[in-house]
Amino acid sequence: MTCDDVERDLDAYVDRELEPGAAAAVRDHLESCAACRARVAERQALGRLVRSAPYYQAPASLRARVASQAAAPSSAPRRIFVWAAAAVLALSIGSGAALLRSASARADAVVDEVVDGHVRSLMAEHLFDVHSTDQHTVKPWFLGRLDFAPPVADLASIGFPLVGGRLDYLNGRPVAALVYQRQKHTINVFVAPEREGAASAIDSRSRRGFRVRHWIRSGMSFWAVSDLNDAELTDFARALQSS
Amino acid sequence: MPPRGFEETVLPHVDAAFNYARWLSRNDAEAEDVVQDACVRAMRFFSSLRDDDARAWLFAIVRNTWYSRVSRRAVAAEVLPLANTIDEPQDEALDPEARLVQQHAVARVREALDRLPVDFREVLVLREIEGLSYKEIAAVVRVPIGTVMSRLARARERLLAVLKQTTPVEAVP
Repeated sequence: MTCDDVERDLDAYVDRELEPGAAAAVRDHLESCAACRARVAERQALGRLVRSAPYYQAPASLRARVASQAAAPSSAPRRIFVWAAAAVLALSIGSGAALLRSASARADAVVDEVVDGHVRSLMAEHLFDVHSTDQHTVKPWFLGRLDFAPPVADLASIGFPLVGGRLDYLNGRPVAALVYQRQKHTINVFVAPEREGAASAIDSRSRRGFRVRHWIRSGMSFWAVSDLNDAELTDFARALQSS
Repeated sequence: MPPRGFEETVLPHVDAAFNYARWLSRNDAEAEDVVQDACVRAMRFFSSLRDDDARAWLFAIVRNTWYSRVSRRAVAAEVLPLANTIDEPQDEALDPEARLVQQHAVARVREALDRLPVDFREVLVLREIEGLSYKEIAAVVRVPIGTVMSRLARARERLLAVLKQTTPVEAVP
């Protein structure tokens, strides 16, 4: 790989959008080329700088107007139509899909709950019961509040600082919710004991514009959810999985 | 799985929609109008939404709404007045002097971004601030993924050039 090739792929490399093979080729080149390393470093510094730009939050009045629009009666007839269509569809595929559905439908339902929990924590501004960046404060806080001890790791060293924790509910039981931050993005990690606890690889899903990662480790189920991009959320999940 | 309502699906992304609209229009009042119109449209097109991409879907509607407003008025985006009542985010953990330096850096980046052509500004905002993948940006902006990549590259070159006129990038935390 030449400097020109790196130049061409520079942004895709920094944005982690290159195929694994191509990214490895760029990394190999960077090992031996200080000029390209400097270009990559400059791009990364620029990215950090842009991410420090303001995140404009919607005024409360706008949010309220949109919410009242959503509640307006004009949408009612359409909703009935959607339900009717869904009912017809359910009847037509019902019998054949029933067997296949059980496991993945269960997982889907939990993914939904995970996203609901994430949204609720952000909208109700009830993100923390314990607000601390110190894992030695957050971990003991859960003692006596849960019948299990969630592992708590701080990933600040790789850019995902722990910011706190709270009690939440998932699948009808109390769980630990750990809160991490990545620039303007909040990551919720729900932790619960897993009975059929064989360790599993990271499962990726997305729902309603949020991304979810699930894995099982040491008898615990982990659900990480955020509006962070795929690559960074996967990095986060891998780091937490191996912490 | 039962279909989710508009409220549950779209309301969680109103901040993201506003942030994007604000960066497009560079004006608070304009951004509010765009987001409100976009949500009316979003409600009308709600049945066309696949379940997993609500945020990118809403961005695309915000973008269309903004462009149709701009073309209806037949004015260039550049004519809009820049809102100057901005609360820059502050990092409470910093001491006063460091905070001043940070504020200055934040203001400088915002100005530099605001001065970029809107095509460049929006890909940077979608990528860096909203964290969208190339594929999602391509869907929002309606260009091929290769164009997203080259546009981002040119946007970054341009931004670097603007920023380097004042301070080297590496000197900013």
